[in-house]
Amino acid sequence: MGKYIAKRIGYMALVFLIVSFLMYSLYNLIPSDPARAELEPMKRDLKPAEYEQMYKNLREEMGLDDPLIIRYGRWMGLVPDKHGNFDGLLEGNFGDSQFFKQKVIDVIQAPMSNTIFINIFATIMALGITIPLGIYCAVHKGRKIDNSVQIVTMLGYSLPIYIIALIFMFFFCVFWRVFPISGTKTAGAIYANGMEAFTDKLYHIALPVIVMTFASLGGMTRYVRSAMIDALSMDYIRTARAKGLKEKVVIYSHAWRNALLPIVTSIIGWFIGIFSGSVIVENTFSLNGMGKLYWTGLNNLDFELVLAIQMFYTVIALAGSLIMDISYGLVDPRVRVDK
Amino acid sequence: MKKLLALLLAAMMLMSAAAFAENAEKGTIIYGSTTELGGDFAPGPWWTNGSTDKMVRDLTNDYGVAVTNQGGEYVLNPTIAESVESVLNNDGTKTFTVKINEGLVYNNGEEIKAADFVWPMVLSCHPQLTEGTKLSGFLTYEGGEEYHDGKAEFVSGLHLIDDYTYSVTIRKDKIPFYYELSYVADKPFSMKYWLGETAELHDDGEGAYLKLDLEKAKARLEEARFYAGPDRVSAGPYSLVEFDKAALQATLVKNENYAGNFEGQKPEIEKIVVVKAETATWADQIKTGAFNFYDTIVDGDQVNAALDLVSAGGFDYVQFDRAGYGMLNFQCDFGPTQFESVRHAVAKLLDRNEFANTFCMGWGGVVNGPYGTGLWQYQEVEEWLDENLDAYAYDPEAAEQLLIEDGWIYNADGSDWTEGNIRHKKVTPEEAGTYVHNVTLADGTILMPLIIEWSSSDGNTVSELLNVMLAQGEQTKAVGMQINQNVMTFTELLNYYYRDASQGDKYAVPTYGMFNLAVGFVPAYDQSYQWTTDPELVAQGYNLPRLYDDVLDWLSMKMVYGVDSDDTVTYLTFWKQYISRWNELLPELPLYSNVYVTLYPDWLEGYEQDSFWNFEQAILYATVAE
Repeated sequence: MGKYIAKRIGYMALVFLIVSFLMYSLYNLIPSDPARAELEPMKRDLKPAEYEQMYKNLREEMGLDDPLIIRYGRWMGLVPDKHGNFDGLLEGNFGDSQFFKQKVIDVIQAPMSNTIFINIFATIMALGITIPLGIYCAVHKGRKIDNSVQIVTMLGYSLPIYIIALIFMFFFCVFWRVFPISGTKTAGAIYANGMEAFTDKLYHIALPVIVMTFASLGGMTRYVRSAMIDALSMDYIRTARAKGLKEKVVIYSHAWRNALLPIVTSIIGWFIGIFSGSVIVENTFSLNGMGKLYWTGLNNLDFELVLAIQMFYTVIALAGSLIMDISYGLVDPRVRVDK
Repeated sequence: MKKLLALLLAAMMLMSAAAFAENAEKGTIIYGSTTELGGDFAPGPWWTNGSTDKMVRDLTNDYGVAVTNQGGEYVLNPTIAESVESVLNNDGTKTFTVKINEGLVYNNGEEIKAADFVWPMVLSCHPQLTEGTKLSGFLTYEGGEEYHDGKAEFVSGLHLIDDYTYSVTIRKDKIPFYYELSYVADKPFSMKYWLGETAELHDDGEGAYLKLDLEKAKARLEEARFYAGPDRVSAGPYSLVEFDKAALQATLVKNENYAGNFEGQKPEIEKIVVVKAETATWADQIKTGAFNFYDTIVDGDQVNAALDLVSAGGFDYVQFDRAGYGMLNFQCDFGPTQFESVRHAVAKLLDRNEFANTFCMGWGGVVNGPYGTGLWQYQEVEEWLDENLDAYAYDPEAAEQLLIEDGWIYNADGSDWTEGNIRHKKVTPEEAGTYVHNVTLADGTILMPLIIEWSSSDGNTVSELLNVMLAQGEQTKAVGMQINQNVMTFTELLNYYYRDASQGDKYAVPTYGMFNLAVGFVPAYDQSYQWTTDPELVAQGYNLPRLYDDVLDWLSMKMVYGVDSDDTVTYLTFWKQYISRWNELLPELPLYSNVYVTLYPDWLEGYEQDSFWNFEQAILYATVAE
């Protein structure tokens, strides 16, 4: 197993380097001049010679005149910077945000913690509902309750999330005034203690979490239902029932464990997804999360920020795929992952 | 399961009741901003200039020796300056000696002295501390460049005379300047807060300089710019007591030590909270109490939604003109738009009043020159402008006549123009240039067709309307003109506009004759170098419409660099001549200038906002209704 993991990590490093170079090159193909964009607002305050001097200084400072491969090497930390230091991605320097004028790592922290906070709740809620619901529907296949759930989940599956968000927002925020419409904090609130702050945050993220949960119900419920229906139709289930086992034991110990294998991929995928924010939900509810940050970075051509986010997700995706493969072996003894 | 859900719902209902009660607090401005806070609260040119961050900075840092008033005019601030004396030196430089009032303090009670004004100026010249910033003071102060380049140990043009007096000497190439008061518009900052305990400002008689531990000072600057808390030291009407980075929410409270603005005005509103507003849902946000103040509503449909909220009760509004306009920018050095007659014809083929009315949904108008109606200059000479500027009223027949008179009278084969065809004009090889649509007849005659390639950015509603009303308009086709819309990203558009070869060879080739752009004006109306005829400056990005007119260039320079700051009469004479010449040459066609609306709670009284009188200035005069 150890050898297999080491080999996979080696492949991952190679894929990471290839992806990073492709991404970096792609963004550098976009015709834009960050130095010009930076100085443009100052142009009317500077005389032409002054503007030109500052423009040249800035281009040099940003290393814009160097060849692509040198800039990539510097960004990755494979080539020394203008001070002679190796200080790039591989050394833990995610770069500088052009838009926020801060280290990318400092820009990412708050949105990342918000995104993880929201996604943990959304994932737990979604799994907590979809798995029992899927099993229940499979066991009661064809009955009214199953048909009703199929319709509702199909609705959630088919509707774009921004429509769901706006509908929920109208009813829960504007019409019934149950939840706040935006943000993660009551405006101007001064909290007596951490618990109060935590409760306020929970209250603010409740509706976005409900929206995200509702939008994800359809897929997983139907997936679990389908896997369970397959499992319940197997001969060993008939045998188990014929042996006189309790229905609960048949469903949860025999059918569910066998239905789990295809579902594990999705479940692990969901947990890996807690790092990535939803552009639509975060923008609709004014949440400072990774999706919104990514969107801001793209709109403002803040490529170092966008690249850092993408490389982070690349690592997460690669690690996730390894975890998934390993988990197959754990869930199903027939699968061996050490070859 | 059911019980758990019911409990959760009940808990949330209770929390919602509590939260909505908190939001309804009267006397607190909850300012919804569509531009999110970045959290960088250092003065603008130091690092970033996000509009909401800037607003917070302006609310917390005041006390400029010179400031702009309600009309955007620079005035001395008597609350701060006891006296400001200026002397023109024999070497052409100019020295301003500023004596500040005694007894001014920061929000923490520490006294403000002359050194607090001088050290930020020295910082802007510092060889290491300016790295990564946009500070350019070293290009303004005498001796600043030498200090910046490490050739001098001090800035010879900055002197600390005594605890309350300092002097600033401006380089001779910056004098005379009509807005020279802007050279002394500096604000005080606490050196202890920004650079740390160990930093010191010295002047041994030769000039001011900073003595500090560079690494410590850099680290302290980095920390200070993002810090918010009750102990953040500042000198403005408000103190930034909290910035929640996760929620992107800033809380400001009234600074009890504030001495007032240039009119001695102090704020009455106790607290301002800045929160994020979403363009798509702002009306629902405001209805549900997420915020109660929405500044500068731009779009006509949003303005109408705001007025619905006012009708429903609980809100009031103020309207003011935009300090700028959306426009069609012509390229005046190639293709059909190089000819004045064509630019005039385009103007007459578009019903601009109808365009502005439709686009702004009744909340906008049209200007006929490079100004905003909120400018004090405009207000001073409004009548003259109305009488003397050409409004280019919609008149397709006149447009056609202009084209005929200018020689646009041929078909592509050289025969006389016939209806339904594109007009052509005989041009010289110089005029023809590299324009792709030119036709060369067998006898060598070059005909330029009246085809205008128009570059517009994607997702732009102005372009969509313009396409319908002008490019696809029957009147345009009827006069024999063809306008081709080319939709691209804004970055791409700018590359073509700048003819930026560094981004690709294709951009260096003049391709598009018209661009969709917008312009905004600042209080210091300075158009110098914008019409330069110097090819080097044009290559650097000046005079982007490429209109080479000596008179316009001369007027734009003379207006600011040829008039003393106290000679408003001469300044306005040049200003009128400049506007008039511009109107005649028409390098841009102003399309619409919005009327903006700011929505505020109806318990707020005396709130008056204007083009150059922003929220951070206007809020000082507002009171809470009894």
